[in-house]
Amino acid sequence: MKKILQITLGIITSVGGFLEVGSVTTSVQAGAQFGYQLLWPILFGTICLIFLIEMSGRLAAVSKHTIVDALRERFGFPFFFVVLVGMTLVAFMVLVAELGGVGFALQILTGIGFPWWALPVSFFVWLLMWKGTFSLIENGASLLGLVTISFVVAAIKLSPDWSGIASGLLPTMPQSDKARYGFLTVSILGATVSPYLMYFYSSGAIEDEWDRSYIPMNRVIAGFGMTFGGVLSMAVLVAAALAFQPRGIQVDTFPQAALLMTTALPKWGFYLFALAMLFACFGAALEISLAIAYFFSQGFGWNWSEDLEPSKNSRFAFVYTLIILLAAIPLMLGIDPIKVTMISMALTSATLPFAIVPFLFLMNDPIYLGKYRNGWVSNSVVSIVILISFVLALISIPLEIVGG
Amino acid sequence: MDLVRDVLDKKLIDREECCMGRVSGLVMHVGENTQPRVTHLLIGGPTLWMRIHPALGRLSNRLGKMWGPKRDEAVKIPWSHVETVGKDVKLDVKGKETGALDWEIWVAQHIIEHIPGGGSEEEE
Repeated sequence: MKKILQITLGIITSVGGFLEVGSVTTSVQAGAQFGYQLLWPILFGTICLIFLIEMSGRLAAVSKHTIVDALRERFGFPFFFVVLVGMTLVAFMVLVAELGGVGFALQILTGIGFPWWALPVSFFVWLLMWKGTFSLIENGASLLGLVTISFVVAAIKLSPDWSGIASGLLPTMPQSDKARYGFLTVSILGATVSPYLMYFYSSGAIEDEWDRSYIPMNRVIAGFGMTFGGVLSMAVLVAAALAFQPRGIQVDTFPQAALLMTTALPKWGFYLFALAMLFACFGAALEISLAIAYFFSQGFGWNWSEDLEPSKNSRFAFVYTLIILLAAIPLMLGIDPIKVTMISMALTSATLPFAIVPFLFLMNDPIYLGKYRNGWVSNSVVSIVILISFVLALISIPLEIVGG
Repeated sequence: MDLVRDVLDKKLIDREECCMGRVSGLVMHVGENTQPRVTHLLIGGPTLWMRIHPALGRLSNRLGKMWGPKRDEAVKIPWSHVETVGKDVKLDVKGKETGALDWEIWVAQHIIEHIPGGGSEEEE
């Protein structure tokens, strides 16, 4: 009974924690410009993420190592340091984007510009980490994130063309704007396959003291949770395609994006959009800040646990305190969170091989996993998606920069 | 035992189950007529950065003397204190007495404890 409850909670938190500023922004822009044509990167990314999350949990349950522990031990400090620098830079940009997303949601609700919200929002994120426990962050924030299910309601209310949706799940080339199409594909893959989710999930498995008996539960949570999460992302894209594409609206600002909900739900849509963004981005900001602090602490062998008093793992607490403080600065200076989001998602895609390839080596290492190591299916699926994402990133990011 | 695979970069746990950092280097004694043997484990700072580039090791050493707990020497743990080598390296020492946790304590006392709700590092 306890396991069933844990599975249910795991799935619910995965669904609630799936959507964040990156997946909403990329899906809205893709739907507005290309209709259903960019549903396939969400599908591919979600399948890849299911495998990666399952692997992260399995590694922790079998070897009692988080990904970062194993990365440092198996590949040594110089390699770990390269990954640490890359991961921190990209995750920092994503954190700025998430805090900006919360600020924008509050701007929509109150009319007060988002730069004014940067400091209070960052402070509140930090306060929850300072005083809260891992369960509070994992379950509380994600449960509130369930308000993002309203995107599915909006998409269904707009009466989508189901055969069009089905054909969007297969890759096709557009007639025009090929560079933009490539860039959006890369950004969607980056928003879906977020390495910080893996670091967070494997650390959570250690915090929750998983052992081998959790392997079946891990599989169910990864499979169902990520699938439902992927459906949410697709719902955003479908609603954006129906609300914006017929009117030729290209979405460049957050208040514009709110239109996708008001078209479907004129009375409550505006507030539902703001609340969905508020909770989703807030939860993601918590998870990313924790993932960065985990990465440093596990890599250097410091004490770490979100459940300990800050002075008992002072370096862990110092890392998240500093990173949240630094992330507030660009927002106070008025940097555009949508631009940061798009760039950080594309950069996530471009740097995926550095995070995922060593992870695949670990998942095939009998020292860590014994008979529980990867089979050819998981290796192939993840490798193919990462390769597509990397090649597209190499081609489309320079084109996007050159083309503005 | 494969020293690089089984010991280097492994997490060090003291007798109170506290994380002391990771093994950043090993000191070996190479005698003329005896087999080489590991005498000490090294923890933290200069040894670690030297593995990327010697200049980084020197820089870390210089910065370490100017700021923070200001240690002159690398933290060395005699191999005789190693209890087991497995998933982690377990040591029969109290982490706080070895110097390996100097930075942890310094950050706690100089930064974290000054923030309300940070608690006290010395409380059990």
